[in-house]
Amino acid sequence: MPLLEVQGLSKHFGGLVANDRIDLRVDKGEIVGLIGPNGAGKTTLFNCIAGFYPPTAGNVQFKGEDITGLPANEICLRGIARTFQIVRIFKDMSVLDNVMVGAFSRTNSAARAKQKALEVLDFCGLAAKKSLLAGGLTIADKKRLELTKALATEPSLLMLDEAIAGLNQTETAEAVELVKKVRETGITVLLVEHVMEVVMPISSRVVVLEYGKKIAEDIPEKVIHNEGVIKAYLGDKYHASRRAH
Amino acid sequence: MGGNKRKWIWLVIGAILCLVFPLFLTLPFPRHLMIMIFLYASLGLAWNMIGGYAGQISLGHAIFFGAGAYTSTLMLMKLGVSPWVGMLVGGILSVGIAFIIGYPCFKLAGHYFAIATIAIGEIAQQWMLNWDWAGSAVGLTLPILPESLINLEFHTTKAPYYYIAFGIFILAILATYGVDRSKLGYYFKAIKGDLEGARSLGINVSKYKFYALALSAFFTSICGSFYAQYVLFIDPDSVFPLMLSIIVCLVATLGGVGTVWGPVIGAFILIPISEFTRIQFGGGGKGTDLIIYGFLIMVISIYQPFGVIGISKRFKKKEPA
Repeated sequence: MPLLEVQGLSKHFGGLVANDRIDLRVDKGEIVGLIGPNGAGKTTLFNCIAGFYPPTAGNVQFKGEDITGLPANEICLRGIARTFQIVRIFKDMSVLDNVMVGAFSRTNSAARAKQKALEVLDFCGLAAKKSLLAGGLTIADKKRLELTKALATEPSLLMLDEAIAGLNQTETAEAVELVKKVRETGITVLLVEHVMEVVMPISSRVVVLEYGKKIAEDIPEKVIHNEGVIKAYLGDKYHASRRAH
Repeated sequence: MGGNKRKWIWLVIGAILCLVFPLFLTLPFPRHLMIMIFLYASLGLAWNMIGGYAGQISLGHAIFFGAGAYTSTLMLMKLGVSPWVGMLVGGILSVGIAFIIGYPCFKLAGHYFAIATIAIGEIAQQWMLNWDWAGSAVGLTLPILPESLINLEFHTTKAPYYYIAFGIFILAILATYGVDRSKLGYYFKAIKGDLEGARSLGINVSKYKFYALALSAFFTSICGSFYAQYVLFIDPDSVFPLMLSIIVCLVATLGGVGTVWGPVIGAFILIPISEFTRIQFGGGGKGTDLIIYGFLIMVISIYQPFGVIGISKRFKKKEPA
């Protein structure tokens, strides 16, 4: 049984078809990369799975249960945590308090939430910054905090929406290490990225969207050689230069 | 830990000073002033739960104050029930009103929520002005009963009122502490910080907004019942006015929203200004205090948006982690 199974999911905004009958499955323990050019519908698909938009058609199954159209908070409690492309941290709260908010999804006790938050902060390498105000962190640390908060909800599936985009090389390498570490703890990861160098080495499978449709799904080695993907995603220029070799 | 210990010492000293205050100051005015400070501090603390912690600016809190005042008074006049029972029933009724207000209004974001609460407050006041059974615009004069704690009426001295107001204030402080340290407080602050972020972490946003408003309404209502028993006369203009909702919001905002002691500081600054200008200018100077309030709010919002408590925090050295 797949951990997450999306069947025929469509999302229309008025006349715009953001997602068109998308099928997607994620098995336990995988890191699945979801890629595609700007406006391909990656974030919309994320929002439909995580309960932020009700899908127009299709259904989403998680651990064998139908979760289509459930509210976001309910989906989080069932074990899907997501981060946002534009971080949604609580900037007037301390780093520790931010993570505690996530930890409270599994406990009513402040002491236990704090203990859990400290563990997760330590795991993510933010322990030294726990007393700082979240609003004062660097972009890289804000993205890291966004991931830490999500991990504190003890998810079985973590969905990262461009958690790495916009970071410099060192920060990117650190973030990739963190995602790998998360997977090693048994958490399945669904990753939206447009940085190919990030997605390719860590994903066990890559799904490619274009204009709201799924155009390819394969292991990374095969996806990068897929003519349709090269044309659609990497552009004609890259396509042409490959031909020249 | 040293800072914590010092804080407790200050709290104990403060509480003892408040307890012995009426023994030394026997004149009615200083006692009245302190009663008003406790009352408004409690109102500010109550408002702070929804407006400060959860960030939903209500400008209709007079509706809960009025509901408390009218419920206990009507129950006393029509049924002969002790005001203490009326106070509790008023509190529960206010939680019900909070639910009715919250259900449609929590779908509104930011300023629209504030506007909706103003509208609801005005509707309530107009309703009470025209409701004959409840005294309409004439208001209700409470029956003069023998002095006793059960009757919650005291005619020879203000001291018992002082201690009751202090008790309500302590309850409001303890409730705020409880919220501040628990899951509720974290969830309220998360809702204030980022709604979508809060939802993504498993928070049922509408449910927790309602909890915040319900707590707030309950305490505001208790203050209303106390006010009725203290003044022994209520009418829609004294317990349902928009100005009351605004002052309650100002008390919390001036002191510092989303903190335990902010509204208390706000009340200690604003209420003396209000009482002294009232004495100084009498009826002709009505509103002078509001000019001063307005000025203070402008200064605070320009130079220190976190209220007076933010200024003290700025000077305090950061605690070691």
